Amino acid sequence: MEVLTNPNRFFEAKAKGEREEKGGGEGKGGGEGEWGRGKREPSLKIPALIVLTSGLVGGISLFLMAGVTFEMLRKSQTLPQEALGVVSAVGGVGAFVGAVVSSFVIWVVAAALFFAVSCLFKGEGKFKRTLEFVGYGYIPTIFSGLVSAVLVYNFVSTTQIPVVTNVADPAEIQKALAPLLTSPLLRLSSAVGILFMLWSANIWIFGLKHARNLSTRDAVLTVAIPVAIYILVLLLRNPSSLGV
Amino acid sequence: MRFPSSLSLLFLALLVVGVVGLAGSGVSEAQAQVAREEQKTSIQITGYQLTPEVLMPNDLGTVTVTVKNAELAKSVNIKEARLLSKELKVASDSYFNIGRLGHGESLDLTFTLKATACPDGIYYPRVLVKGEDAQNIRYSFPVRVDSTLLTLAVKDVPEDIFKGERARIELAVGNPRPNTATGVKITAVAERREEAEEEEKGGEGVAGGEELVPSEVFVGALSRDETKTASFNFTPQTNGTRLLNFKLEFKNGENLHSAELSLPLKVTESKKKPELVLTGIEVEPSASGSGIYNYKITGDINNAGLEDANGVVMKIGDAEGVEATHPYKSYFVGLLSPDDFSSFELDVKVSEDRENEGEGTKVPLRIEYKDEDGFLFSKTEYIAIERQQGQRTGSSGVGVGELPLSVVVVLLFVVAVVVGLIAYSWKKR
Repeated sequence: MEVLTNPNRFFEAKAKGEREEKGGGEGKGGGEGEWGRGKREPSLKIPALIVLTSGLVGGISLFLMAGVTFEMLRKSQTLPQEALGVVSAVGGVGAFVGAVVSSFVIWVVAAALFFAVSCLFKGEGKFKRTLEFVGYGYIPTIFSGLVSAVLVYNFVSTTQIPVVTNVADPAEIQKALAPLLTSPLLRLSSAVGILFMLWSANIWIFGLKHARNLSTRDAVLTVAIPVAIYILVLLLRNPSSLGV
Repeated sequence: MRFPSSLSLLFLALLVVGVVGLAGSGVSEAQAQVAREEQKTSIQITGYQLTPEVLMPNDLGTVTVTVKNAELAKSVNIKEARLLSKELKVASDSYFNIGRLGHGESLDLTFTLKATACPDGIYYPRVLVKGEDAQNIRYSFPVRVDSTLLTLAVKDVPEDIFKGERARIELAVGNPRPNTATGVKITAVAERREEAEEEEKGGEGVAGGEELVPSEVFVGALSRDETKTASFNFTPQTNGTRLLNFKLEFKNGENLHSAELSLPLKVTESKKKPELVLTGIEVEPSASGSGIYNYKITGDINNAGLEDANGVVMKIGDAEGVEATHPYKSYFVGLLSPDDFSSFELDVKVSEDRENEGEGTKVPLRIEYKDEDGFLFSKTEYIAIERQQGQRTGSSGVGVGELPLSVVVVLLFVVAVVVGLIAYSWKKR
């Protein structure tokens, strides 16, 4: 809980505890040497669990949105009923798997990005430590996923699914989905996602500060630059995301 | 005493001679009189012909009398011929200086009569023919005036008449007159009484066509006491009391007469006819363009009646701003038996202007079917289209979908918590 309310102290304690642990090990181990005493590997279990949970929760929204596509396919009557069942099952599972896998990929990529940017500010510390602390920053995305899931469910259960006569034509599908994607609920969902992303960024700032021994200013810049670019790209791709 | 006896004899002889003489002169006078009578009767009226045979009041008729010269060797000069009548009006002029009529020859003289304001009965007008040498002849003939009209009666009419169903109405036209009526025809007109129900908007009705078929039946000539039948098919389009007016027209000679028959009928809804009901209507938006909204209307059409509905076709009706589009501009269902149903789908395009009117758009959905006789029926239902969440209002791209208040409150709370936590984390730094 402290990682949410006071991430600075949380990460500081984690880094400090490790240093203390490093000191304790020196007393116990005696002859283990400098490397063996002070370089205990950061644990990725909890961050990985957080990322996994975040991926699964995010998968709910994707699963619901995939349902819209399957409903569209069903109404277009271009696929036989049996094939539609298989596609729905595969698509549903695929949505979850895709969400989990992409969460882990983004975790690693984001950590690498922060690590690389922090190098510009002469950051010190292992990549694994950065990976661990970035993983903790995924906690807000769990809440974000839950809120999005509620909003998307609300949207899916109330909206009218358009009928696309030619599912092989991406232009027609895009045309049919365009009104749906501008739904207030979906835009609200995007806005909530950005808000929680900022919350994550806040945690990452303190995480990077202690993981890479950066000043607060450098940590802010390290996190803010990639996050700002990401949000900018997000807004440019879908300008109406915030137009609630 | 011998002398007086001689005188007596002489006187007697003279008396006899005188008497005989007187007697002789009397015979020759009688013979002359007889000859003169024979000369008078040499002009004869041998016959007459009345057209029409029996007049009706105010009818115009003609009488043709045949004048014959019965003389064996001598022609007769006919000076004048005239028709005389007190009750009937003679509508033609008399004949003057007709000329000579050869022996044994005949001449037809025609006069016009009009039965003006005279009651039914038999009248005797006279023909007066004047010849030379005071040869005159008068001839009376009977003319009958009868005001009896031809009768028009209902021979057969169905007990129940249902809206949209064909009813066969048979009429009998009879001739109680003593003469033949010609050119008999019956014209039919269906009138809607004031209390008749107006056809409801969107209601069911027979599409096109006259209600009474044929509108006129020609019967032709009708002899005395003869009856003929005329049939009409009546297909009412509305419920309520309907008044069928039949006009009977005929000719008595050259005179046109008419009679009318009014037949009130109670038209009700059929208990067996196909009753098409729409259920499970779904309106789904499909790809939309700028200012144009496309919808796919799907649903089921059911036959809740007791008779087959043939050739059922679903169409988008005519309305401003509403247009049927491909691929399903119309949907052919075909035969729909009683208690049977079929799915259908229709594509419709609604313009933005129409969308913005009021609370939503009503798209007319027209159902057409035929009965077993091929009569086309149509019914219009209105499908309300409300713009659903996720649809744009137009080019502005501003959402109009309403968010539930609870969602808004929760989201505001979440935003406050997140912002608070971020702020708190920086404060505790």
